[in-house]
Amino acid sequence: MVLEGAIIYSNLLVLLALGLTLTYITTNVPNFAQGSFAIVGSYIAVTLLRIFHIHPYFSLPFLLIAGAIVGFSTYLILKPLVARRADVEILMIATLAIDLILLGTIGAYSEILSKIVGFTQAKFVFSQLDFSIFGIKGIFFVSIAVTLLLLFCLYLLLYKTKFGTALRASMENPDLAETMGINVEQTRAFSWALSGALAAVAGGLLPFMQEIVPMTGDIIIISIFASSIVGGLTHITGALVGGYIIGLSESLITYYLSSIFGTGFLVYGKVVALVIMIITLLFVPSGIMGINWGKRPKK
Amino acid sequence: MMDILQLILLWFGIYYIVAVSLNMEFGYAGIPNFGKALSVLVGAISVGGILNRLLIWYFGVKGDLIEGSTFAIARMNEIIAAHPLAGIFLLLIAILLAMVVGFVVGMIFILPSAKLKADYLGVTLLAISEAIFLVCVYNLSIIGGYYGISTPDILAFAPGEKRGWIFAGIVLVFAFLSFLFMEKLLNTPYGRVLKAMRENEDVVKCFGRDIMKLRMRTMAIGSAIGAIAGVLYSFYTGNIVANSFTRVEWTFFPFLMILLGGKGNNKGVALGVLAYVIVIVFLDIYKYDIKEIFHIPFEPVWLTYILFGITMLLILYYKPTGLIPERPVKTPPVKRIMED
Amino acid sequence: MIEVRGLNAGYGKLQILFGIDAHVEPHKITTIVGPNGSGKSTFLKSLFGLNDIYSGQIIYKGQDITRVPPYEKVRMKIAYLPQTGNVFVNLTVEENLKIAGYVLDKARVKERIDVALSVFPELKKILKRKANTLSGGQRQFLAMGMALVREAEFLMLDEPTAQLSPKLAEVIFQKIIEMRDQFKLTILLVEQNAKRALEVSDNGYMFVSGKVAFAGGAKELLEHEKFEEYFLGISGS
Repeated sequence: MVLEGAIIYSNLLVLLALGLTLTYITTNVPNFAQGSFAIVGSYIAVTLLRIFHIHPYFSLPFLLIAGAIVGFSTYLILKPLVARRADVEILMIATLAIDLILLGTIGAYSEILSKIVGFTQAKFVFSQLDFSIFGIKGIFFVSIAVTLLLLFCLYLLLYKTKFGTALRASMENPDLAETMGINVEQTRAFSWALSGALAAVAGGLLPFMQEIVPMTGDIIIISIFASSIVGGLTHITGALVGGYIIGLSESLITYYLSSIFGTGFLVYGKVVALVIMIITLLFVPSGIMGINWGKRPKK
Repeated sequence: MMDILQLILLWFGIYYIVAVSLNMEFGYAGIPNFGKALSVLVGAISVGGILNRLLIWYFGVKGDLIEGSTFAIARMNEIIAAHPLAGIFLLLIAILLAMVVGFVVGMIFILPSAKLKADYLGVTLLAISEAIFLVCVYNLSIIGGYYGISTPDILAFAPGEKRGWIFAGIVLVFAFLSFLFMEKLLNTPYGRVLKAMRENEDVVKCFGRDIMKLRMRTMAIGSAIGAIAGVLYSFYTGNIVANSFTRVEWTFFPFLMILLGGKGNNKGVALGVLAYVIVIVFLDIYKYDIKEIFHIPFEPVWLTYILFGITMLLILYYKPTGLIPERPVKTPPVKRIMED
Repeated sequence: MIEVRGLNAGYGKLQILFGIDAHVEPHKITTIVGPNGSGKSTFLKSLFGLNDIYSGQIIYKGQDITRVPPYEKVRMKIAYLPQTGNVFVNLTVEENLKIAGYVLDKARVKERIDVALSVFPELKKILKRKANTLSGGQRQFLAMGMALVREAEFLMLDEPTAQLSPKLAEVIFQKIIEMRDQFKLTILLVEQNAKRALEVSDNGYMFVSGKVAFAGGAKELLEHEKFEEYFLGISGS
């Protein structure tokens, strides 16, 4: 039961961390708005549910598109600063500003939506809409299927298409990519759209396992960054590894400790994520995938 | 109208203390302290979590922190009402306590990331601050969490109508002291090394200064000063609710003030703080009128967030140096360092 | 092929090149030699548009390209191989070759990769390996192969034999000759290994302190008294 929740949570963290890592690699921007990207997805899903009566599971393809638009727009806002080669501190402040704008927009929208449907949308869950198989929640299967499907598509895109190769080339060495005639600008914009899309899908699934409020994004951002950093911010596969490490330990360690120290310990979930992140930074700052496993150091 | 002026002065003082200390960390030393809110929270913890407990113990009151505080504070307020000096004494004790705790917390706070690049540094500071904030909100036994606890009224002796003015005066005194302290500190070789570190870490390393120690010292001092604001705020409002120490309020807005005023310039920062405070005070007073007039179908706070977010982006686009740009450092030794 | 007139260039306020006049003949190898810091590499970068040009003119095939951005020059079949970071280390050899032909259509890329592999058969066996596992020589082969895939007509090489063994350096020189003869490439070479480079070249330039100290045939330069003066001791390899 606890493991079930831990796996669901990990799947969603992987999607969110993937986006964060992707945009960090391509544009060198640590995106503090990634959590709010997800909550935008949650609110679009709840709108489709309340107004058009579309089950959240069926609104996922739509979230993919809407999320891509949010991600792409964010890139457009950041673009003048990226082009100016602004310091990373300035870029971080800019994403904090975008996060605040998103928070304000989500908050305002939640109240408007409440007025339209006649009851409060400031907080909501989807768990009552879920199916179950042999006592296991549907979201367990759906989150696994969606994550695997998206990962598979991402793999195909990155490793089996010309654009994917160009994308990886520009991640590694944008200057050299430019000399090959690759439109590096385009690959950057794409990575932001992709990041937004993955986050929005995660956001559509999140209400099946926890209550959503406009501020939720600002809380899960800790876990997202912890996942990306633990896995290695400069490696796409790092998000995968980090997402599961943080997701599982956040849920399982907290559960274990609370069974010893009492339920009061449940609030320390984010502290667990934080501690793992700090341990990683102290001992392997480049993250798990940044370690040169078993290889001799190159000249 | 006088009430508005009093509010502006009060908030100016509190925010200036936060902003001027953040300016040392970010504007001078280049540390992107996205966990600034933590230092303010430390101030609140010093009052609610430590001072209140001491009072509960001193008066021998029974009950948990929340319940016990109510009784202990009532007793304390009686004493202050009779002996004004007791109130001032309590304030000074609280500030001293907060500075010591802030100093230590600031040092530990940056320890895991003191050697890292700016981006990892910023993320780690934000994450630590946010995690501690969440624990303080949901764990009621630290400072009363979302439920809140009351704090001593250090001006219990003053009549109601004068209380606000006296408090504004106290806050301004501390803001001015913080300004003097920072100006003095940052015009020493230490301050110039900080700026050199911001521009080029390697240069500083070449001169035999340890980046990690410099960053730790900076964050220790910055957090000690920031904690003063937390104490003043906690005493002013008469209670502590953990939810009010948010990242938006105590990290993002101070960054906005610094970038608006001009980072690396303590006078420019004052202008930035004043501009922000005037806007926010008037917005707060007239928010429901604005809501009525423009038929805004939601709480005005959301609109404030959107507006300040956009303001920040506009500053970054068009005026990254702020209203009053930083004065170039022209002292010969630093000039030599930079050119080498 | 390429004509440079009165080029003043550098990085920001730091001027490195002072009034360079140079001429690169088509289908020939031209080598620039000179002591460290003489501005050889900066000259190549300036031709490709990677640093600041204050004044002067660069004419390529009769067209002024002084202010043409680097990515446009790729389409004009100009290739520049920096000394380091000239391949994508996280991509496989095959992916590197494919990405080199990014602007070409699929069939053409295939054709060009076959051409590149015929010149660099060493790459055939390691197509699936990631470039970060390659040796220095293999990387250089790959980078030059990529230039062939790109259908470059004018190729600028910045110290392609740096940090290679003399034996491997010799192979690289032979490949450069092969590229000139077989594909009629125009090659502009910057070399530390001055003597050997000039031996395989048609024309030579010597740069000293950002100025042209000698221009003419490679043989003449080798026999020139100044050459001894500047390269005694360095030329021995």
